[in-house]
Amino acid sequence: MDHIGGSGRRGHGARHYEIRIAGHLDTRWAAWFEGMSLTHAPDGTTTLTGIVADQSALHGLLQKLRDIGVPLLSVQGDQE
Amino acid sequence: MARTLVETKLYAPHPRHVLVERTRLADRLNDAERARLVLVSAPTGFGKSTLLAAWAERRAAAGDAIAWVSLEPSDDDPTAFWTYVAAAIQRAVPAARAAATLLEDVEPPPVATVLAVLVNDLARVDADVTLVLDDFHVIQSSEVADQLAVLLERLPPRVRVAIATRADPAFPIGRLRAKGELVEVRAADLRFTTDETAAYLNEVMSLGLDAPDVTALEERTEGWIAALQLAALSMAGRDDPSAFIASFTGDDRFVVDYLIEEVLERQPDDVRAFLLETSILDRLTGDLCDALTGRSDGRNMLEALDRSNLFVVALDARREWYRYHHLFAELLRSRLNDERPSRGEGLHRRAAAWLEAHAERDAAIRHALAGRDWNRAADLLERAIPDLRRGRQELTLRRLLGALPPELMRTRPVLTIGYVGSLMSNGEIDDIDGLLADAERWLEADAPRSEMVVADEAELARLPSAIAMYRAAQSRIRGDDAASVEHAHRAHELAGPDDHLGRGGAAGFLALAAWTRGDLDEAHAHWTEAMASIERAGHLVDAIAIVRALAEIRAAQGRLRDARRTYERGLEAATTGRAVPLRGTADLHTGLAELALEANDLDGAAEHLRRSAELDDLGLGLPQNAARRRVVAALVRAAEGDPAAALNVLEEAEGVYLGEYFPIVRPIPALRARLWLLAGRPADAEDWAAACGLSVDTPVGYLREYELVTLARVLVARSARVGDAAPMRDAAMLLERVVTAADAGGRRRTAMECLVLLSIAGDQLGEKPRSLAALHRALDLAAPEGYVRPFVGEGEPMTALLKAAIAHGIRVPLARRLLAAAETPPKQPLPEPLSGRELEVLGLLATELSGPEIAERLVVGLSTVRSHTKRIYAKLDVNGRRAAVRRADELGLLPNATRR
Repeated sequence: MDHIGGSGRRGHGARHYEIRIAGHLDTRWAAWFEGMSLTHAPDGTTTLTGIVADQSALHGLLQKLRDIGVPLLSVQGDQE
Repeated sequence: MARTLVETKLYAPHPRHVLVERTRLADRLNDAERARLVLVSAPTGFGKSTLLAAWAERRAAAGDAIAWVSLEPSDDDPTAFWTYVAAAIQRAVPAARAAATLLEDVEPPPVATVLAVLVNDLARVDADVTLVLDDFHVIQSSEVADQLAVLLERLPPRVRVAIATRADPAFPIGRLRAKGELVEVRAADLRFTTDETAAYLNEVMSLGLDAPDVTALEERTEGWIAALQLAALSMAGRDDPSAFIASFTGDDRFVVDYLIEEVLERQPDDVRAFLLETSILDRLTGDLCDALTGRSDGRNMLEALDRSNLFVVALDARREWYRYHHLFAELLRSRLNDERPSRGEGLHRRAAAWLEAHAERDAAIRHALAGRDWNRAADLLERAIPDLRRGRQELTLRRLLGALPPELMRTRPVLTIGYVGSLMSNGEIDDIDGLLADAERWLEADAPRSEMVVADEAELARLPSAIAMYRAAQSRIRGDDAASVEHAHRAHELAGPDDHLGRGGAAGFLALAAWTRGDLDEAHAHWTEAMASIERAGHLVDAIAIVRALAEIRAAQGRLRDARRTYERGLEAATTGRAVPLRGTADLHTGLAELALEANDLDGAAEHLRRSAELDDLGLGLPQNAARRRVVAALVRAAEGDPAAALNVLEEAEGVYLGEYFPIVRPIPALRARLWLLAGRPADAEDWAAACGLSVDTPVGYLREYELVTLARVLVARSARVGDAAPMRDAAMLLERVVTAADAGGRRRTAMECLVLLSIAGDQLGEKPRSLAALHRALDLAAPEGYVRPFVGEGEPMTALLKAAIAHGIRVPLARRLLAAAETPPKQPLPEPLSGRELEVLGLLATELSGPEIAERLVVGLSTVRSHTKRIYAKLDVNGRRAAVRRADELGLLPNATRR
């Protein structure tokens, strides 16, 4: 867990995230989602992977997904 | 100043076609008769707005007033949000205009006030009112969510709120649900059932599909209405819809990705280009579309889209303004971004230019920023600064200015200083030095002026003074008072004769510095000048804060009458000819309460404190008032002879203490030590004395006076307790030094208190003549002003001394009056006196008003009124309303108006 309110940006460091959604999202969306890469799985889901700058960028991303009505399945982040 | 509203946000959308009658949902909403909140929460494209619009139309037909707000991201700011809500309510119910009028004021009151006024407005409306907040998910500010929760809590019975949102609101809805006051409609309710899917595809769209095809589509789209609409559009005119359905349902692609492509492919090139290019707009009108596309068919195109139901929503009855369905717009935008990534910026720029020319400032700023048209954005923002600041949209200003590239600031000194102001008001002071230096460089003689960019020329002249002012403020925050004074002097010199704000601000800083030093006359003179300038600048709320400074200075000078007149004049200015008094009016009542206490008018003090608390609840107090009025309440409690209660109230005061901009002349810990002495807790007071870092030799300074006198009181008490004269002598020495300093500084209120204590100390030390001489001087200071409390507050020892004074012919009439006051028992002869709020409720109990009406009048919940009532009965030792009123009347506790 990141230390919140720590000094400078390091405390809220960029992280690698995997966001799984239902349906195969066209790869044309990659630009819309700030360069996340899109992988289609045979089970009819799509995984968006990439580095997300911080928590507010992550929330922004989730909001963009919400705004196109994509059903969200999971969000996972690892410490970079 | 009336802020420009985007009118189209206040229209309920007018669907041209009714797609499918959704009886089951309509019934559900019609059952919402008793609901306070109708929450329609579902992802995009589930028909939330359509459902609410249809419902609103039915309610309107039944005689309801409908207030509709389509929210946008720029409304994610308390002032903006409530401005639209109040405007929508005013349009729906013209009589309910007080809140909207308030928000049009040059200095709009705080949101708490607007809310209270709005509730009162709505309570008086003789109709059912439905407030619809569409797209509430754009509101992320917890402040707005909390305020809306307050509105829901206080909603008059005939008003309900309906919210359409993609995310559940950030306020608790559990309680509403438990009370059966919530009707929820969620995705599972909104999705088309198989029957509705069939009705839509075959009856509305006349596609003639068989049952298996309908079921397949319903399953593939999971009843998602937007997807079904796209599917229907893709199939319209196809020879073989079944083939389409087969390939669609056999595909794993995200459902709308698949469909939007089908729909767009079937459009003629010009329609497709039009859709993509105009997708960046939040609101569309023919002329604006033409500005983006470079064509001239905008109006026709929008009408055609409307007719063929291609995802536009009309925003007004004349069908001039439209918006795209949100999901459709998102899909188009991402496509534009993908297909023509370089195109977006140019489109945003053209939109910004058109919107600027049509005075749509906020939308123009948004598009200029999106189009990275930094110069236009900077020009627009620079000119918007004074307005946004007056409208208290400091946070919005900070956000917008922060979005500009920093290097752009460097050539724009006026914008830079606006940025400094927004940073400071948000408590960010780290980058300010650099920014001030950047701006100041342009004022130097050899500055390359031709490279400087200024949009707001009027502000340029104010720059030198403004820079010095910000430096003064910054120095003060850092605790460097000398530097602050120096900068303030400079700011004062540099401010032009018409720069009232600059002159007033600088004078204020000089006043603060003089006050802190204890130069009361000089401080008073600077404040007087500051107030005149600030008033001329139209900043009346700031002027009220200055009234308090002026009065407190007069009170410190022992000029009780002047102090009272100052507050009374302030009160008149703050209330005359206004529907709602100015913010800060609560503070004036707090001040008057304290002055009433000086004259031993405990009832008057209690009454002013009651008013102060009431106005505070309406948000009409400055931030410091919450603590300040409790401090005064503690003093009143102590004067009523209940130091234990006083200590409790003081603790409350500390809990809400927010710091103080004015010099702190009465620190709370020292006041608490005094209350401990009164409460018979000398050990606690001794602990304070040991920890306060002061001794009888500490040099006397204005800001130390209160603590030093407190220390003297601890010593006097110690001497009496342990039967040792030494601490008493120390106390007398200390008090003599304080009197000398206070005399020199013209601080007669302190001198008076010291002389009273010296007279008591002298008496105890057996030095009768010295004691009476001190008392004589104290009486001389008190006589022309009507001070009573400084004498009667000392209790028994003073009663004896006053008798001695009378015997010696010293100030006999005054001494007699003081003696009489000291011997009169306090009013409210109840074991536990009623609080200000309880007195207020009691006053309403004496009227014909019912419980719910009283709650409404006080803008509180019925349960709050009930708990007040219960406590009042207990304190009066009665068990009913009539008995309470009778007993209160006997005790003289009812205000005159209700007694008559």
